[in-house]
Amino acid sequence: MISIESSIIRLKDVSKKYPPDNVVFSGIDLEIEKGEFVFLTGPSGTGKSTMLRILFCAERPASGEIWVDGVALSSFSNAQVPYLRRKIGVIFQDFKLLSNHTIFDNVALSLEVIGLGKKQAEQRVMQVLEGVGLAGKTSHYPLQLSGGEQQRVAIARAVVNRPSIILADEPTGNLDLQRTEEVIMLMEELNARGATIIFATHDDRLFENTHRRVLRLLNGKIRI
Amino acid sequence: MHLGLFEGNHVSDFLQCNQDVIMTLAILCRRAFSDLRQNFCAQLITTMVVSLSILIFAFFTLLYFNLQHFVDRFGSELGLVVFLTEDTPKDRIPSLYQKLTGLSEVEKVTYISSEEAFGRLEKFLKDEKEVLEGVDPQFLPPSFEIQVNRAVFQLKRIKQLAGEIDKWPEVSKVRFGQEWIDRLYVFSGLVRTIVAVTGILLLFTAAFVVTNTIKLTVYARQEELKIIRLVGATNMFIQGPFLVEAFLQGLLGSSLALGVVFACYRFVQGLEAKSELLRGVNICFIPWQYTVAIIASSVLLCVLGTVLAMRRSLRL
Ligand SMILES: Nc1ncnc2c1ncn2[C@@H]1O[C@H](COP(=O)(O)OP(=O)(O)OP(=O)(O)O)[C@@H](O)[C@H]1O
Ligand SMILES: [Mg+2]
Repeated sequence: MISIESSIIRLKDVSKKYPPDNVVFSGIDLEIEKGEFVFLTGPSGTGKSTMLRILFCAERPASGEIWVDGVALSSFSNAQVPYLRRKIGVIFQDFKLLSNHTIFDNVALSLEVIGLGKKQAEQRVMQVLEGVGLAGKTSHYPLQLSGGEQQRVAIARAVVNRPSIILADEPTGNLDLQRTEEVIMLMEELNARGATIIFATHDDRLFENTHRRVLRLLNGKIRI
Repeated sequence: MHLGLFEGNHVSDFLQCNQDVIMTLAILCRRAFSDLRQNFCAQLITTMVVSLSILIFAFFTLLYFNLQHFVDRFGSELGLVVFLTEDTPKDRIPSLYQKLTGLSEVEKVTYISSEEAFGRLEKFLKDEKEVLEGVDPQFLPPSFEIQVNRAVFQLKRIKQLAGEIDKWPEVSKVRFGQEWIDRLYVFSGLVRTIVAVTGILLLFTAAFVVTNTIKLTVYARQEELKIIRLVGATNMFIQGPFLVEAFLQGLLGSSLALGVVFACYRFVQGLEAKSELLRGVNICFIPWQYTVAIIASSVLLCVLGTVLAMRRSLRL
C-alpha cells in the first residue's frame, strides 16, 4: 500500500451528490502519487469535472475524506481554501476567463493573487504566453480570440505560478490535432519537472499508446 | 511549446496556509484605484445615489433641528413665577432662595417682595394709581421670578419642576408661560413627530436604495469575483478594493449631500440678514455631532452593504 506521504492526492470512500438525488459517484478510493501523470476518462456526464472540482474545493464531497499532500480538505475552512488553490493549477473546461480583462491581465491574475505586482509578473507571463503561442495577442480580450486560443490562455493562467498539481479539464477540447499534441507535450514537460497532473478527457486517442495510468469513471465508480 | 518554468518547483512549502501574503495598503489601494477607473460609471452612480439619499435625509434633519431650535428659543424666554403664601415669615425667604438656586434647571432667581410688587403695579397703572389709595401695600403676595437654564430647557421638565415647587408649603401658586406657548408646544411637537417619522422612513429608504444599488453593482461582477476566487485569491484580496470603494462612496456621497445642505443654510442665513420678516427665524445648522454621525453611518451603510452583497460571491 502506498503511504500517505508518497501519495499527493488520496481519496477515501468519497461520494458526491447533487440535490435532489443525483448521485454522481460514491465510495471512490483513489491514490495518486507525487509526480504522477494520470488520465481521467469516462463518458460525458459521469463526473470527471465534478471530481476535479472536489479536489480544488470548488465543491465539498457529500461524504468521505480527501487528502492533498497529507492535509485533509475537510480541515480547510472556506477562508483557507485560496491557499490550497495557489498550489493547484486548474484548466477549466469552460476556460473561465475574465472577459473584460486583456489576455495578459488574465494570465497575470494567477500571480497577482499571491501578491506579485504586474511589473514583477510581466516576465513570467510573457514567457508562458510565448510558450502557448499567444505572445502576439497579449492585449486582446478573450472574446476576440478563437475557442482554441482561449483554451490556451486558460492553460497559460493555470501554469504560470508553477503549481505542484495541475488539474486539466478537457484542455484539448477545442484544439486541432497539432495543438493537442503540443498541449500533451507541455503537460509532459511540466510533469517531468515534478508537477502531478490529472488530465480529464473523453478522447481515447490521447492515451491510446501511453503507459500512463488511466482512471475510468463509469456509473459512479472508478475502474483502473 | 516550451516553457522552462519549473526550475524552482517548491513542493516542500506546499499547503502552508498561514504564510499569508502581506496585503499592503499600497497594493490594496492600487487595485481599488484601477478598479475604480474600470468601473467608473457604476461607482459614480452609486455615489450619486448615496448622495441623493443622504441629501433628502439631511434636509429633514435640518428642518427638525430648526423646529426644535425655534420652539426652544421661544420657550426659554419665559420663566416661572413662584408666589408665596401671604403668611410666609420673612426669615424663610433666604433659605427658599437658596433652595431655588440649587435646582439644576434654574439659571437665575429674583425675589420680588410685596412692596416691590406693589411698586410695579403702581408704575403699571401710572396716572390711575389713585385706585390703589388706601390699599394695604402688602396685599400682593411676595414672589420669586425664575429664569430657566437655557441649556436644559424642556417643557416637560419645566412643568415637572413647577409641580414640585408647587408642593412646597410656603408656595401658594406657580405660574409659567402663557397658554399659547403651551399650544405652540403641542403643535410643534406634532410637527416634530411627523418630521422625525418621515426622517426615519427616509433613512430606511436611503439604506434600502444604497444597499440595493451596491448589490446590483456587485452582482453584475459576480462571475468575475468567482473566477478570481477560483484562481486562489483570498477574500481580503477580492473584498479589499470593494471596501475601499464603499468607504469612499459613503464618505464622498454624504459629504457632498451635507455640503449642499450647508450651502442652502448659508443662503437662508444671507436672506435673513436682508429681510426684516425672516430676522427672527435665526436658522441653525445640524449640530456637528449629527453631521459626523450622518457621515459615519453613510460610510458604515456602504461598507456593510458591500460586505453583505459580497457574501454570496465568497462562499467556496
Ligand atoms: N452544479 C451542479 N448542480 C447539479 N448537478 C450538477 C452540477 N454540476 C454537475 N452536475 C451533474 O453531475 C453530473 C456530472 O457532471 P460533470 O460535469 O462532472 O460531468 P463530466 O464527466 O465532466 O462531463 P463532460 O465530459 O461532459 O464534461 C452530471 O450528471 C451533471 O448533471
Ligand atoms: Mg466535464
